Amino acid sequence: MNSTDNNARTEQMEIDASAKWPVLVFFGSAILWLIAGGALQLIASIQLHTPSFLAGCAWTTYGRVAPAAQNALIYGWGMNAAFAFGLWLMARLSATTLRHGGWLFVAAKFWNIGVTLGLLGILGRFSTSFELLEMPRFVTLILLAGYAMIGVWAVTTFSIRNTENVYASQWYLFGAAFWFPWLYAIAQIMLLKAPVRGVLQPVVNAWYVHGLYGLWFIPVALAAAYYFLPKILGKPIANYYLAALAFWWLVGTTAFAGGSRLIGAPVPVWISTLGAVANFLLVVPVVVIALNLFGTLSGRYSALQSSITLRFIFVSILGFVLASAFNLALSMRGFAQVVQFTLMTDLRDWLIFYACFSTAMFGAAYFILPRLTGKEWRSTILVKTHFFTTALGVVLLTAGLAAAGWQQGHLLNDATVPFGDITKVLTFWFTFRSIGLIVLLIGHLAFLINFVWIACPLNSRGTPLASFHQPPDLSLPNPAKAATEGHA
Amino acid sequence: MKNGLALFLGAFVILALSWAGLLLTAHQQLGSLSQYKDPTDDVLYPQPLSGVADQGRLVYQDLGCVSCHTQQVRHEGFGSDIERKWGLRGSYARDYIRDNTVFIGQSRLGPDLRNTGSLELHPYADAEYFYKLLYAPHSVAPGTNMPAYTFLFDVHPLAGRQPSDKAISLPGKYAPGAGYEVVPTLRARALVAYLMSLKDPFDYPTERNLNAAAAPAKEGAH
Repeated sequence: MNSTDNNARTEQMEIDASAKWPVLVFFGSAILWLIAGGALQLIASIQLHTPSFLAGCAWTTYGRVAPAAQNALIYGWGMNAAFAFGLWLMARLSATTLRHGGWLFVAAKFWNIGVTLGLLGILGRFSTSFELLEMPRFVTLILLAGYAMIGVWAVTTFSIRNTENVYASQWYLFGAAFWFPWLYAIAQIMLLKAPVRGVLQPVVNAWYVHGLYGLWFIPVALAAAYYFLPKILGKPIANYYLAALAFWWLVGTTAFAGGSRLIGAPVPVWISTLGAVANFLLVVPVVVIALNLFGTLSGRYSALQSSITLRFIFVSILGFVLASAFNLALSMRGFAQVVQFTLMTDLRDWLIFYACFSTAMFGAAYFILPRLTGKEWRSTILVKTHFFTTALGVVLLTAGLAAAGWQQGHLLNDATVPFGDITKVLTFWFTFRSIGLIVLLIGHLAFLINFVWIACPLNSRGTPLASFHQPPDLSLPNPAKAATEGHA
Repeated sequence: MKNGLALFLGAFVILALSWAGLLLTAHQQLGSLSQYKDPTDDVLYPQPLSGVADQGRLVYQDLGCVSCHTQQVRHEGFGSDIERKWGLRGSYARDYIRDNTVFIGQSRLGPDLRNTGSLELHPYADAEYFYKLLYAPHSVAPGTNMPAYTFLFDVHPLAGRQPSDKAISLPGKYAPGAGYEVVPTLRARALVAYLMSLKDPFDYPTERNLNAAAAPAKEGAH
């Protein structure tokens, strides 16, 4: 028993060593994009309450800065972080090292150069104005080439796995690895290469946007939740036998839910109806996943105190449930009639991307990086600052944007209120959002500083142990094993 | 679940079905919508954009106007788009076949622009109005948070020459000062031509019937 445990531990160390540099490079670029995207987002937000801010120059006009910020966050931070986490977890769960990691540097270069060129394109008059596909056409191939290597690595790592069973996190990662390039390539072809006519363009766009959030970011976040909960708590996922059902049901219905973004739009009604039905059907897998995850946590909430990863994952699960509820609410005609086209629609996507996905990646980073580098997080205060600002920012922005959207929607639907008056009312909320974004940005800067400390190779002796407790996980069976036990 | 192949096939089938079910079916239904010939005056609707207006579409696209403006009028009874004079009727899929890029948008931080060029709805909205709106938004829309697009205009010193016939006249507070004139660039002129081309004046009998058929159902639903 003891010797097998030791073997398992050596194996994990080998895997971590093989994944070290690719993961550090992806996480490093991700965090830089997080800061850059956050700064752009803040500029755009300020412009809404102070329109003269940086308005004199075409490069910094709101209509360009806002999509640039969104793209920097989604493709810069989101994708890079998902690559870092996904590759590491795939290797860990497949019990095999990440081979020929050098190629992943090339992939990372391609991806980040693509995103940089894409952003410069948006700011410098080549935007396509399709949501989340604003980057000019010429970067498509660069991004796809970069992604091809990363996706192939994830899938190859999976296919040479040394494990008997395939764990839930692997289903989500494996699925996401295929869905993203398909969605992206199809959307590029149908919108930019050989554009479809008329209102089919918004239909394709809604299908892509919904797919990107629902079939890429949510699966990656769930992979993190399904992995870290049993890993850190040292117990199997509760009711694990339901997880497979939830997986297929979740992704199968999400794939059809994109039309719910087009309620009241000049497209055939069946498109938005299909989306609403899909969102209703999604209640079942969301409840099952919540049972899985909260069931695992139940009785062990005290563990949240000692593990920063667990705390972030907890926020992420709450974000997932809340985002799903929001999606459902927004696909109901009565509700959509009021809040469609308001700040509430921004909130829906932000909940998925930030409250659910980004927090999961923060949690993952706090778990992974000390193991890869063999060092501790240098500053506990910065770690706590990061968590506190993230939690505060999520609460502030969720409450604020929901209230603002509700008010904006009612004013828009009252034709006696002149448009200028709505803007005046919203000015307060725009200012509120800027404050919320500053709070988040402070946390991201704390994260960056800690990351530089832990990742910098010059700092090879390591840093003194930070005072928060090391989660008691290294001696626990890996979740694949735990899952098998739960299964039996 | 142990089988990688089953996982792959499942993932593939889900996305393939959603693509075929949503996008291909919609394409089958809408991909071949054509213009409608009005029998009374033999004109085809929707009318295609002029060349300048189509260039303006590209300016609209690259400036990201779609970030704040929708171009879709919701039907009577769903929101108050008609009461806000954003259109004479709700938008139909057929209205959009003239647009090379469709910007239906998803945010109304600014008003809807689907019929912004309709003088019937907005008699004040002539070219001069749009130039002023773009150069100095507050001069025509007090309280707006639309940014000024001064980079779409050239401000030159007159230096004794006659003012350009394209120069725009601005109220004192917004004018660049004596001896200067503000002239829209080609991009500004294209953008304004595009904005003024945005209107759906014709109500297609085919769609109107569809709408009428849908109306009682809507009442029943409430």
